[in-house]
Amino acid sequence: MTSTWRVWVVIAGLILLHLLLHVGFGVGRAAPDLLALAVLTAAREMRVGTAAGFGLAMGLLEDALSALSFGASAITMSLIGAGGAETRDLFVGDSLLFLVSYFFLGKWLRDMVHWFFVGESVRLPFVDQVVVQGSLDGAYTAAVGVLVLVATGFWRDAHR
Amino acid sequence: MPLPAFAPDQGADGGRRQRFIAGVVFAFALLVYYLPDATQQRAASALRGSVLRPFIATQEALVEARLSARQVEELQRQLDTLTARLATHGALEDENRTLRDLLELGDRLRPAFRPASVLRPGNTDSERLFLVSVGSEDGVSVGSPVIDQNGLVGVVREVRAHTSVAMDWTHPDFRASAMLANGTSYGIVEAQEGAFREDDRMILRGTAFNAEIEAGMPVLTSGFGRVLPRGIPIGRVESVHQTEGEWLTSYWLVPMVHPASVTHVLVGVGEPGQAVIDVWSSPGVTGELLRREQRVRDSVPALRDSAGLSAEPQPSDTASEGRR
Repeated sequence: MTSTWRVWVVIAGLILLHLLLHVGFGVGRAAPDLLALAVLTAAREMRVGTAAGFGLAMGLLEDALSALSFGASAITMSLIGAGGAETRDLFVGDSLLFLVSYFFLGKWLRDMVHWFFVGESVRLPFVDQVVVQGSLDGAYTAAVGVLVLVATGFWRDAHR
Repeated sequence: MPLPAFAPDQGADGGRRQRFIAGVVFAFALLVYYLPDATQQRAASALRGSVLRPFIATQEALVEARLSARQVEELQRQLDTLTARLATHGALEDENRTLRDLLELGDRLRPAFRPASVLRPGNTDSERLFLVSVGSEDGVSVGSPVIDQNGLVGVVREVRAHTSVAMDWTHPDFRASAMLANGTSYGIVEAQEGAFREDDRMILRGTAFNAEIEAGMPVLTSGFGRVLPRGIPIGRVESVHQTEGEWLTSYWLVPMVHPASVTHVLVGVGEPGQAVIDVWSSPGVTGELLRREQRVRDSVPALRDSAGLSAEPQPSDTASEGRR
């Protein structure tokens, strides 16, 4: 299997696992946001427009389960997808520091944009949801992202 | 590493085209965001019924399995009791049917309720919504009440063939016309969002300023507007929330149901608005509620004694004291 195919298998696996954990098992916050991780990872494989479309599709999936703020995740994920793809032009690297920062900031920005669009009736105060919870979620996502890359062997391949 | 190094695979035109596509995608996402609620719900339903169906079915199966495991022991006890009573049941049923026919009670027993499992989507922004495993084919309609053995859990908001989306009483759109159990005062119950989910509270608004309302009085649905049937317990009066001039008073309520703990519910089917007050005023249910409340009251002094604290004022004085 080529490296590109392996990446897409991992991305598909992340999406399935996210839906299984969050929707199937109803785990909630204890499970990491693997959908955001999938979009951030896929964005580095795609061009800007395609990545935005991929993010939109993932956002709509998430929106289907949140009738109070339908569309908020679609906007957020399409922006994150496009933003992630834009980083290909800005950052060329695969260092641990870059990966951790990329996943952390990606997830944190996702939470912030989502907080902005989700509507006053649903969101918690900015400090609680974005600053505190968003930072924790960002760190969690970054840790899981690095673990996924190590577990799937991509990290080793990149440093050969 | 899945994050590839920069590859110059696009010229200036390609880059512009990609950004144009990204702009179109973003505009489409904005369009989705500003669609009317009904259209959004149709789209969400379509996704839930197709791509997400296997995952929702997984949660249904898990909830069912969890409930089954928990209920086996209880069912065994009930089975033993029922078996013992079965011998006399036939005669009683026949007698009951005859008496009902005579009194024409059939219509008064509606609306019927269908048992359903509660499924939580798991998103942070849909915590106040849940799926129930009954839908329009079971007779559920928008506005059907969702109850459990303690009282009102919420209201159905959207209906599909086999599942429905309901909001619990903590939802900002939730309203219920309510009355005191003794029928002396009426108002509207709504949720007051707390700093965090467990801090959400219930308020009874619009009651007359001079109404004699004391802490602990049960509040039931009044049936006004024919959305919710009359007589479903909502909560108990806790204390005065605020007064508006000398006309109106609103009260904090202690909810009968804590939505987070609900795993299995009954969903109203058929004609909305029919009274169900007899269901909770039956000796068995009332007795159980009273016994539970007594246990809670007994535990408070015991806890206070064990902690060596002095006695607090009785809660029954709180509401009228607060208003004065």
